[in-house]
Amino acid sequence: MLKTLLRNRKAAFGATLVALFLGLAIAAPLLAPYAPNQRAARPHEQPSSEHVLGSTRMGRDVLSQTIHGGRTSLLVGFAAGLIVTVIGVGIGVTAGYFGGRVDEALNLLTNISLVIPNLPLMLVLAAFLGQTSPFVIAAIIGLTSWGWGARVVRAQTLSLRQRDYVLAAELLGEPAWRIILVELIPNLISIIGFNFIGSVLYAVITEATLEFLGLGDPMALSWGTMLYHAQTTSALRVGAWWEVVAPSLALALFGSGLSLVNFGIDEIANPRLRSLRVPKKLRAAALHGLATR
Amino acid sequence: MAFLLRRIAFYIAAFLVAATFNFLLPRLLPGDPVETMFAQSGTALPPESMAALRATFGFIDQPLPLQYARYLASVFTWDLGLSIKFHPLTVNEVLWRALPWTLLLVLTSSLLAFSVGSLAGVAAAWRRGGRFDSFGAPAALMLQAVPPLVTSLVALYVFAIEFKILPTGFAWGAELDPGWTLAFMASVAQHAILPVATLALAQIGGYLITMRNSMINLLGEDYIVLGTAKGLGDRRLRFAYAGLNALLPAMTSFAMSLGAVFGGSLITEIVFNYPGLGYTLFQGIAARDYPLIQGQLLIMTLAMLAANFIADLLTVALDPRLRG
Repeated sequence: MLKTLLRNRKAAFGATLVALFLGLAIAAPLLAPYAPNQRAARPHEQPSSEHVLGSTRMGRDVLSQTIHGGRTSLLVGFAAGLIVTVIGVGIGVTAGYFGGRVDEALNLLTNISLVIPNLPLMLVLAAFLGQTSPFVIAAIIGLTSWGWGARVVRAQTLSLRQRDYVLAAELLGEPAWRIILVELIPNLISIIGFNFIGSVLYAVITEATLEFLGLGDPMALSWGTMLYHAQTTSALRVGAWWEVVAPSLALALFGSGLSLVNFGIDEIANPRLRSLRVPKKLRAAALHGLATR
Repeated sequence: MAFLLRRIAFYIAAFLVAATFNFLLPRLLPGDPVETMFAQSGTALPPESMAALRATFGFIDQPLPLQYARYLASVFTWDLGLSIKFHPLTVNEVLWRALPWTLLLVLTSSLLAFSVGSLAGVAAAWRRGGRFDSFGAPAALMLQAVPPLVTSLVALYVFAIEFKILPTGFAWGAELDPGWTLAFMASVAQHAILPVATLALAQIGGYLITMRNSMINLLGEDYIVLGTAKGLGDRRLRFAYAGLNALLPAMTSFAMSLGAVFGGSLITEIVFNYPGLGYTLFQGIAARDYPLIQGQLLIMTLAMLAANFIADLLTVALDPRLRG
């Protein structure tokens, strides 16, 4: 399965980007030239050979902060993505498998969670919880953002539910939990993977957003708090673009990597979506008629 | 009709959930809920305003169900209490003053992204595997993965600070008086360019991909093959046969994504000091103005429900199976 995924060029490129950021985060203390909170330079120093991405208002090395900040950002992203996926799959499969009243109730819950806007809801939660640590933020994101996953998983479960092998398992008297875990979940794996990666992407962006708004713990170091400090010290307006560009680029590249992996998964799961490389002559013929399919 | 009535009942339930959430949250957290809610008001509010605020949020000497009833009565009569940060304005006044600016950004950018993205999606699906499809589609997807926060900051720096071709913030030039004058409207349009463009940029990819994928699935259907066999023109097949049908899922995602756009707009407004809901809220958050923070959830939910209802109406108009 991993092989098929990596044979897809978009997915392979995306996976490389993601792996690169994971590697940077894991090996941060070895790779970062300075300690992240050390005063290593004068305030707002321009990028130079000594400080490749310049320094912040506080004289901290931006490159080191970005490498270390990735640890929190990625950890929150993956943790929140995991919570979103577990809740979404749990609710989606339960609703789809049991049907009837259970489905009606869970589906109503899912639809309500989809029409209440997420960010405003998270703002209320985070504001009441006070200066929220990265892990509280992960929990907030996880608990408010499972709606899409639940909806997609439910729809797919409903269609799997009708297959003969599920019926066979039921006639054999298999308990419901076993049918769900052994028969259904393995067949939902591509949807679950797609959902997980999408959720991680969403969580990384949302964490940065909440922290940028000043709802995070300003002492924590992540790409979001870096942007928050850059904003509160008006880095852009005084021309210290590097302080903003570094965490922004990290967010953008990591996000792009994840979404390319997902694009690849989508193409593998649904071959019609693939953009095949067809020889020119054939393509001209195909475009003309025969294969509008 | 039955379909729409069911939807309306659902919307009322959803709104009730948001209101209940507002009611329960301060009461579930440790500590005195009244303290938590109004801790920041300090001496800013005169005692009679404080008493009014308590009554609005149901902090009365009664059992919980009666407190809840009191709060729901406030919400459904659209009394959201007093703002602490913007005293003596009510939350309602603060939010209604800011809402038009946010709507301007959200609606313009969404319509722009929806039309550009859907048309590009149709083009990509029609020539799938072509040059536009192989580079355009993944590029759009990558663009979508870039947070609005990042695009806004970069756009602000490049166009407003470095090259100084567009204003750095606010909704209109400081030298102008608001009014329906040509100069004022031109200034508003000029100030909206950057926020609208950054918001639209974040959405185009989503519409492109939704449209492309549902279009590709439709292009495999028999009725399209039949149309090709009958010798129908490309344009007709592309837009009237496949495009129109592919538009239905795109419309649903349009309504659903409005919530995310509102979220994105909050961020964009803060970066550009744009006087909409986001910027107002940002000030409210800094001052821990809880009545305001709770009020924005209700008004945002209401906006989402309205958008979904409009999408329902359009779906009924486009899909004859739902008319009955």
